[in-house]
Amino acid sequence: MEIRKRMDVFLVPLVVLLLGLVSANTGYAQQVSGVVTDATSGSTLPGVNVIVKGTTQGTSTGTDGSYSLNVPTLQDTLVFSFIGYQKQEVPIQGRTKINIVLKSQAISGDELVVVGYGKQKKKTLTGSISKVSGSDVTVSPSPNVTSSLEGKLPGLVVNQRTGEPGREDLNILIRGNGTFNNNDPLVVIDGVPRDNLSQLNPNDIEDITVLKDASAAIYGARAANGVILVTTKQGSKSKPKFNFSYSYAFQQPTKIPNMLDAATFATAFNEAEWYRQGRPDKSNFTPFYTDKAIQKYRNGSDPVLYPNTDWVSEVLKPYSANQKVNLQASGGSANIQYLLSFGMTDQDGNFKNNPTHYKKYNARAKVNVDLTEDLTVGANISANLNQRKYPSVGTQVNFINILQANPTLVAKYPNGLIAPGRLQENPLLLDRRGYDRFKDYPINSTFTASYNVPFVKGLALDASYNYDLRNQFEKLFSKPYSFHKYNVQTGKYDKVWATNASTVQLTDTYSRWTKSLFNFRVSYETTIGKYHNISAMVGTEQQRQNYSYAMAYRKNFVSSAIPQINVGSTNPKDMNNGGSASESAYNNYFGRLNYDYNSKYLLEFVFRYDGSQIFPKGNRYGFFPGVSAGWRLSEEDFIRDNLPFVSELKLRGSYGELGNDRVGAYQYLQSFSFGDNYVFGAGDVPGITPNTLPNPDITWEVSKKLDLGLEATLWDGLLGADITLWKENRSNILLQPNRSVSHVYGFSGLPDKNIGKVENRGFEIVLTHQNNIGDLSYSIRANTSFARSKIKFMDETPQAEPYQTQTGHPLGSGLYYKSDGIFNTQQELDNYPHGPGAQVGDIKVVDLNNDGVIDGKDRYRTDNSPTPEYTFGLTTNFKYKGFDLTLFFQGQTNAYTYDGTVATLGGSDFANAAVYRAKDRWTVDNKDATMPRADQWTPGATDFFLFDATFVRLKNAELGYSLPHRLLSKVGAGSFKDLRFYVNGSNLLTWAKEIKWRDPEMGGDFTNYPPLRIINVGVNVNF
Amino acid sequence: MKKLIPVFIILLFISCKQDILDISPQDRISENAVWSDVNLIKAYQNSLYNAIPHGFYIHMYSKYTDEAYDSAPCCGADIFARNTFTPENITAVSGGDFWGGYMYYWDHGYQYIRRINVFLEKMQGDDIQFEEKKRLVAETKFLRAFIYFKLIKRYGGVPIVKKAYDLGDDVQFKRSTFDECVAFINQDLSDAISDLPARYPSTDPNYGRATADAAKALRSRMFLYAASPLFNPSNDKQKWQKAADAAAALIGDEGGVDYYELYPDYQKLFELKTGEAQKEVIFARGFTSSNGHEAPMNNLNRRYGAYGGWWGSNGPTQNLVDDYDMTNGEQPFLKDGSINPNSGYDPQNPYKNRDPRLNATIIHDGSTFRGDTLEMWVAEDGSQWGKDSYKESGDNPRTNYVLKKFMPTEGPLSWDHTFTIEWPHFRLAEIYLNYAEAEFELGNEAKAREYVNKVRSRPSVNLPDIPSTVTGEDLRRRIYNERRVELAFEGQRFFDIRRWKIGGVVENRPIRGMDIAKNMSTKNKTYTPVKLLQKKPWEEKMNLLPIAQDEIRRNPELTQTPGW
Repeated sequence: MEIRKRMDVFLVPLVVLLLGLVSANTGYAQQVSGVVTDATSGSTLPGVNVIVKGTTQGTSTGTDGSYSLNVPTLQDTLVFSFIGYQKQEVPIQGRTKINIVLKSQAISGDELVVVGYGKQKKKTLTGSISKVSGSDVTVSPSPNVTSSLEGKLPGLVVNQRTGEPGREDLNILIRGNGTFNNNDPLVVIDGVPRDNLSQLNPNDIEDITVLKDASAAIYGARAANGVILVTTKQGSKSKPKFNFSYSYAFQQPTKIPNMLDAATFATAFNEAEWYRQGRPDKSNFTPFYTDKAIQKYRNGSDPVLYPNTDWVSEVLKPYSANQKVNLQASGGSANIQYLLSFGMTDQDGNFKNNPTHYKKYNARAKVNVDLTEDLTVGANISANLNQRKYPSVGTQVNFINILQANPTLVAKYPNGLIAPGRLQENPLLLDRRGYDRFKDYPINSTFTASYNVPFVKGLALDASYNYDLRNQFEKLFSKPYSFHKYNVQTGKYDKVWATNASTVQLTDTYSRWTKSLFNFRVSYETTIGKYHNISAMVGTEQQRQNYSYAMAYRKNFVSSAIPQINVGSTNPKDMNNGGSASESAYNNYFGRLNYDYNSKYLLEFVFRYDGSQIFPKGNRYGFFPGVSAGWRLSEEDFIRDNLPFVSELKLRGSYGELGNDRVGAYQYLQSFSFGDNYVFGAGDVPGITPNTLPNPDITWEVSKKLDLGLEATLWDGLLGADITLWKENRSNILLQPNRSVSHVYGFSGLPDKNIGKVENRGFEIVLTHQNNIGDLSYSIRANTSFARSKIKFMDETPQAEPYQTQTGHPLGSGLYYKSDGIFNTQQELDNYPHGPGAQVGDIKVVDLNNDGVIDGKDRYRTDNSPTPEYTFGLTTNFKYKGFDLTLFFQGQTNAYTYDGTVATLGGSDFANAAVYRAKDRWTVDNKDATMPRADQWTPGATDFFLFDATFVRLKNAELGYSLPHRLLSKVGAGSFKDLRFYVNGSNLLTWAKEIKWRDPEMGGDFTNYPPLRIINVGVNVNF
Repeated sequence: MKKLIPVFIILLFISCKQDILDISPQDRISENAVWSDVNLIKAYQNSLYNAIPHGFYIHMYSKYTDEAYDSAPCCGADIFARNTFTPENITAVSGGDFWGGYMYYWDHGYQYIRRINVFLEKMQGDDIQFEEKKRLVAETKFLRAFIYFKLIKRYGGVPIVKKAYDLGDDVQFKRSTFDECVAFINQDLSDAISDLPARYPSTDPNYGRATADAAKALRSRMFLYAASPLFNPSNDKQKWQKAADAAAALIGDEGGVDYYELYPDYQKLFELKTGEAQKEVIFARGFTSSNGHEAPMNNLNRRYGAYGGWWGSNGPTQNLVDDYDMTNGEQPFLKDGSINPNSGYDPQNPYKNRDPRLNATIIHDGSTFRGDTLEMWVAEDGSQWGKDSYKESGDNPRTNYVLKKFMPTEGPLSWDHTFTIEWPHFRLAEIYLNYAEAEFELGNEAKAREYVNKVRSRPSVNLPDIPSTVTGEDLRRRIYNERRVELAFEGQRFFDIRRWKIGGVVENRPIRGMDIAKNMSTKNKTYTPVKLLQKKPWEEKMNLLPIAQDEIRRNPELTQTPGW
């Protein structure tokens, strides 16, 4: 907080001072005018910036491309600039009329790429950096920015595990897993580490770059998992531009497993009961469901007592809606640039009778002001109003109550009354049970000042102060609810109150996060002689974060009409409250040095001296360097002369040491927490409990990254290639020393020690092709990446058998019993070792060590994990006259998902099972089955239910049509610069290798909110 | 323009603030603070009581035995339901609630042993002085003794850890023998008894703390176990004598503590809220509304919105129901399983004239509970069923029996209410039965009969005495049976089966329930016991639990439990 106060004291006079400087401008007398046209088409160019060099005086061209400007003298120079065109400086030389032809800019060469604390030209870049532009992000109709990144960037592994509105749990990894601990990359939005990427308005994004190698070393102790840099759009010095877009999407789960109908369910349950009772003689066995009952389930003659409920179609809507509105205004004049943006997203949930709803408003104002020729100040303020509403019961619970609900239970009686469902948890009752509502209001602000020191050419100072504030109110409101139940004795429908909640309960939680970050940089750029280009930057940054929350709880409300705390009972037994706080800080210094010889030989050095409060004094500061070099072969005469089709060819390499500090704070202190209370007499007594033992030497993980790359552009962009090979050694990984520490020591949780070592290697390939054939222009961009980790050391508990060790295998690889089909006959069972509960019809577990016993020693370590090793993406763009089409395919392989839930069938808990599981199950009459019997027994997780999660999907497709200008004028919409209709979709088609019965991208058990398929129609207007 | 330079220089200085990283945690207390504040020391000692699990977790130990039918297909409990536990899967029952009610206990127990050792080490010497210090040290020793007893009845001899090791200490732990452990526990108990008050009345604010009587009760149970066939293969009579003496120390008639008395109403005893007056319970875990349990909601049936033990998985078995005597004192079934002709047992009216403890412990078809008459029947043609039948809901136990012991017969029943019925660790009836069993094994059958009969003659039970004609093996059977019935659902059966080494008989019997078919025109009901679960065949090694295989690998000198 102290820093912030000091900043406040300081910022005010700064601003006053700066404003004073502006007023020094005086009037001019001479006038120059002219018209600006495009070099290729010859048409006039509106919105071109024209300024007098060395001043802030300027204007921009009008709709007819003309301008007129007062200049101090006719000896000055005019500067013409326009986005996408080469800048021109024209000495006036006494003229008063100057017509200018602007040439469009070659796209590849001078393209700028955002890197840590700066921008660099793509052609002289030496790091391994991928970039995606904002327009690629908005092709996806997904409301979540992160899901639009899936498959777009080589080396970025994104998996969408669920589709719940506002809770899409996207798992982002850069180059796979590097550590046992947190593998999340650092996300930096407009220069500040921020974690609300998923809440950004996709339309605000200018571009996203990913630093994958040593180039991330400038982010020091937080960079080992890679860095994602997001830059938001800003206004340009042009006439005001307005953009309006509206879209309406239909969304539905990609794939919900088919579950058993009532008759099949009952049959399988009876089988299971028979097995559980030790397979008695049929005469000695009363099935739970009689043949007569099963008959009724099948023929539907009695929907009240013998229903056949398809819970999925009873509870889920066929589709739900998602609407988006966006409004953007941007522009600028000679010394001011602005962008105002507003976005609204309204997403509905997929359940019937369910309060799930997500509403998001995004607003952003970004202004840059050139106060003087050398001083620019700016502000970038974004606010987000996020309202998320969910049922008061957890989502996974709800999906269990849909997918695993017994199909012999009624969901809704024929007369429309809602039945209790599984455990009185019928999802159709959710709207009666209260809600869990979040109102989340993050505000991010950035204030910047850049000063080009006028008396030292190339020297610039930059400072920024950022303050983020996020307030979140959560209201968890739960109230008694009722349902109806058919009474078999009276034949009436009794109204019954559920016992899960007998009184109104309310929990209000107020959470607050703040972050202040101050950043100051000095940079210098010069050219020595003709060819030695040098640029350097050093900076310092301090960050401080606070989190606190307060919670209040009441129950026994007089009425459920007013969900406010003060309506609850004031009896002390009915009240509760809680709260806590935490604080963290960083302090660091960083820098970059670039040298190139004639843009041919490139060299870069970056560093960060990083201090993190997570670690004890003495271990807090670390130095993280990164060095990279490049050689642009295409600048060499021997290439130019002999291989003229090579437009660009570059070799690059880098090496760096980076850190990962994403571990719990204060692990160096022995601390105690309140809790573990007890009761004496009839009263509570407080308790305290020791936390994890301390490790006084704890420090960060170290990652050493080595990259080699080759970039080529051939035949002027007809073919592009970018190939990267990389290797990473992660050491000092924080792990519990497991091997040596018996539980008999009784330690209250072992502290992490910096002992783990993981090696990671992989490659990335990007190929691009673009061409025009007549009116058809198209581009293809394919990328694939591979990443495989290998554990080198983890102080592993010695395993019983050598093939069980985790060391030497990828992170996340599990232990499974090997399966070899089914024990189809009693003879097969008798002739082979089997576990204590095995019966004929069970999965045949292989006796791996041939000791005649099936036990834990027969498990083996797989080389597979749920994180894909290969990911690929293929984007194709076509443009033909007014039409444009984008198809984006994405996929993965070498990923394996274990689903233990799908294995269950016929359990005594009446959980329903997937058709996939039951269809060809073993029964006494189906001995050649491929699936195990109902109530199957295995000693533990077997690879029978470990699935190859390979898939390819049509992730996005978009078809658009822009109305020709002629037509626009005809219908009286001539003021529209651009009017485009489009239809697009997400997760449209999926080809899965093994997981065909549910969405292959979800992790773990199938009882969760699946990802969504979205079909979207929209309109976009520029004027 | 040059004016800006100092501005930037000032900015630079602001950023050089070094102490920004010195932040002390705001949500926890440091170690030094704990040992220098008496209130925190007491809070530390209070929390040590949580070492002793109560029996109100979702999975009660009854479903690991023939007391209840465990239909839960998961969460660890099923490895005992089917006796498929192994060194690989045994840690599935190492947690509370869902995760087995601490049946594995190894990790939990040793963690608290370290906490206790830390406490005892800090209390040594004179640095820390406060009024209650001596008593709290004695209480803590009792807790250590109780933990060790819980370990040895599961695993046999275990490593004795008397000091708090620090991280980095390199120790290979070895098992001490069972007898060494008993001696060590007995020493802790002796130390505790000398510094503890004899008892607190159940209405006292200190009730629930360790007392000298609690230590004596633990000693009684421990010596009984130590003398039992599993731990005393040579049947050393001296061990039985120790068991008898330890029990006698709490029995007024035998010259021991003369304070405790059987609570007259057997059913009400298990409905008393923490803090209510009674003189039967010697040591208990209390509950309050803010630190309460959900046992009634977990175990009652669907009619009350409860879960019947989760998925109806704690339904009392026919096996248990069959073991309640008739009111004439006869057992309904003979040793061979046939109906005892002298008992008057009518298989078509099975709940008539039974030991009143059956009705106090188990809700069955036709029982009255909270004003409701429970109906577990199913029409012969399957078209209708009683509201409490397993057909109505998976939360009505398939056995058609519902637990009644510990369930409140009045007051609110709902998930957002917490219950404060206490969990008895030791009570007088058990001490009587400990005494009876020890005296029987010493050959004093009259004495044994006398104390079994005391339990049977509790006013609300009022069963005829076991006649003096019952002797030898028959008498032993009656003593065992009395313990099964009197202590049903109190977490004892699991260990009694093992120390008596009767698993080969009782664990190999199928778990059964009762089907009640109703003829809708005549209203007649037909009772047919139904087989529900055949467990994996019993093996002798199952008498003791295996240690997790990982744990053995971490500590190679720790031997695995024999047979595993």
